[in-house]
Amino acid sequence: MENTITTPAQPTELCNYCSTKIENDDSFCTNCGYPIKGTDFEQRSFVAARNNIDIDMNEFNKTLKSATMSLYYLAGIFVISGLISFFMNKDNADVLAIVLPNFILAILFLVLGSFSRKKTLACLVSGLSLYIIVQVLNAIADPVSIGRGIIMKIIIIGYLINGIKSAINIEKIKKENNIA
Amino acid sequence: MPEELSIIGDQEIPDTKNCLYCDKQIALNTKFCKNCGASQLPYNAKPLNNSWHLLKQAALFYSIYIVVCCLSSFVDAFKTLGWCLIIEVIIAGTAVLFFTYNWNHNKEILIWSNFSLLKLATYGAIAIISSCLVHYSVDWLNVTVFSTDQHFYSIFDGNKAAPYLIIFFTAVTPAIFEELGFRGYLLQILLKVADKDQAVYISAFLFAIIHLSFLSLFWLIPFALFIGYMRVRENTIWYGVFFHFLFNLTACLFQLL
Repeated sequence: MENTITTPAQPTELCNYCSTKIENDDSFCTNCGYPIKGTDFEQRSFVAARNNIDIDMNEFNKTLKSATMSLYYLAGIFVISGLISFFMNKDNADVLAIVLPNFILAILFLVLGSFSRKKTLACLVSGLSLYIIVQVLNAIADPVSIGRGIIMKIIIIGYLINGIKSAINIEKIKKENNIA
Repeated sequence: MPEELSIIGDQEIPDTKNCLYCDKQIALNTKFCKNCGASQLPYNAKPLNNSWHLLKQAALFYSIYIVVCCLSSFVDAFKTLGWCLIIEVIIAGTAVLFFTYNWNHNKEILIWSNFSLLKLATYGAIAIISSCLVHYSVDWLNVTVFSTDQHFYSIFDGNKAAPYLIIFFTAVTPAIFEELGFRGYLLQILLKVADKDQAVYISAFLFAIIHLSFLSLFWLIPFALFIGYMRVRENTIWYGVFFHFLFNLTACLFQLL
């Protein structure tokens, strides 16, 4: 009876779950915590728990992707509004001063978008703050501008806030389960 | 210590530690104990449950800054000496209030335990040199960094104490309260929520964009990153306060002299 519990059912060279090399006397994988010498039930429970974590992580990653995409989307919006204001003010002597902020914002959002894969939380918080500052400044310059495209603005802010929440949750799950 | 452990253990592991739960000897880089399966994450590396709450608190802090800075910079009605004082009090009060609200976590960075005159002089020299570089590079770009501050200076026209007021409002108060707010309160919160690099990046970017000047971003971001890393390395805000003060004072003197 003792044998049925302690004898490993599979060769012990590689972990069944994460394929890390394991020593003969190890009871648990040192990389993922898989119960190498555990009972069938324990091993299955481990895999099921890990699968649940993966499902959660996938959900959060999807939200994160929408949030990072909205950074690129914002870059696009500022390029378009820059071009529109250029053609509207072509003959104005200050055309550069009117158009340049749009292009600088587009570049900033593009840079934030491109770094968002590595430094997700930093880029999303920065992007959201920048977008809100731009909206506040627009509202001071022209109070009517608050209403323009308000649904789109709310959607973008919503995506960014959800992205920040997801980034925090992913970090939390990774730490809780000691996943790199 | 490795020698001591290698005597106890008969495995050929170069460096070992004890499991946090079953206390058995395991390899140093182990993530899970090979004997009991327990995660070897140190207690202080465990995730916080209130990250989102902390971020919301930081967002409230930053929102106050956004509203106050946007209004004071772009609404002409606020460009008087009286309003200037009120705005300064609101900004300083916000920084102090949020800083003291989390007093237990923040008080450690008010301590200046590693005071070194040499370090202070080095940071001071870097501040003065970088301020000169910024001044001339901006001149070269033919755009004045202090385009908004020049309006700001006109507030003091005809005032006998103008130079002192200008130094007070552009060098003394920002150095103390911006550092207390951004490198003090905000960075402390971000360090709890994110890793060191991301926390410093976020605080630097937020600090840079609150100055509401596109052309200043190119030097404000490196400036804030430098002070951010300085604050994390030295674990005190005072080197940053000194750096910020000298940087702004140099810029101020270029305008006054």
